[in-house]
Amino acid sequence: MKAIKAIYNFIVGDMVILVGVIITMLVLALINFVGALSPLRIATGAILVVAVLVVLTATLYREIRG
Amino acid sequence: MQWAIATAAFLASAVEFVEAFTIVLVVGVTINWRSSLLGAFAAAATLAIIVATLGVALVKWVPIKDFQLAVGIILILFGLKWLKKAILRYSGLKALHDEEAIFEETVAEIRARGETVAPRFQPFGVALSYKSVLLEGLEVAFIVITFGSSISTSAAGNGILSAAIGATVAGILVIAAGAIIQAPLSKVPENTLKFIVGIMLTSFGTFWAAEGFGYTWPLSDAFIPILAAIYLLASYILVSWLKQYKRRQLAMASATNASTSTPEQEGVRP
Repeated sequence: MKAIKAIYNFIVGDMVILVGVIITMLVLALINFVGALSPLRIATGAILVVAVLVVLTATLYREIRG
Repeated sequence: MQWAIATAAFLASAVEFVEAFTIVLVVGVTINWRSSLLGAFAAAATLAIIVATLGVALVKWVPIKDFQLAVGIILILFGLKWLKKAILRYSGLKALHDEEAIFEETVAEIRARGETVAPRFQPFGVALSYKSVLLEGLEVAFIVITFGSSISTSAAGNGILSAAIGATVAGILVIAAGAIIQAPLSKVPENTLKFIVGIMLTSFGTFWAAEGFGYTWPLSDAFIPILAAIYLLASYILVSWLKQYKRRQLAMASATNASTSTPEQEGVRP
């Protein structure tokens, strides 16, 4: 448990960033591996950029609220 | 030579070297240079083994697309963490990272433990120096491997070499600068460095993570500076927003103080 916590703190140390990036990657995985969502593949880059900015804004918002 | 990789590795590593060097300097000045340098060299040797084994394993056996995705995700995580701190510091919501304050604080801690400047090896000094150099050095090793390995399959070896050169130059420059000024490198604008590195890590991370999903960016590698520009502009907007938020909070606080103090003031009036 200590090792996991150390790795978490070393790499990110912020739950909003971690959860936000994981959700983004899951959405992109769905878009890229599910046939029905293939028309969205062309927007992978744009979705990722927007998601990163949303995650950054969300973590900053939590910081000023907390 | 991959100049973009070397520059990114140079900037990212410089931040880590400044942090590690501050602790080595503290131990050297307050305990002794023998213990400090022994810890630092032992950590450097440990790092060399980690890089030699892990670097080769990663490059040889992991498919490049999967590796790009994994590295991209980790770089985004790293980049967002640094960017968040730098934005909070620029907006005044978090104190600027002050190497001199850290130096003074660590010196006080060591003196409080009863440690003094002594010519022989001091286990605490060696451990402190080793731990700091290993931790910061691991981040440097991580930067070198991830930056260097993810550019493309054919140029991966060259990429690692470029990243390693960037990191080595950063290390030499930081140590040389420290040796010349003999102070905890408070002159280095660390927040600016961290901000730039945060932008670069997030840009590279975004680029590689999308490529890991098989996405091809318009203009290929030339899109990385565009990504950096997008994140730079967004960061500028976020800093402005946070500054406004801070001003509003201060105005509200002073308005609340004024309204609570008004009845008292009225009460003392004749």
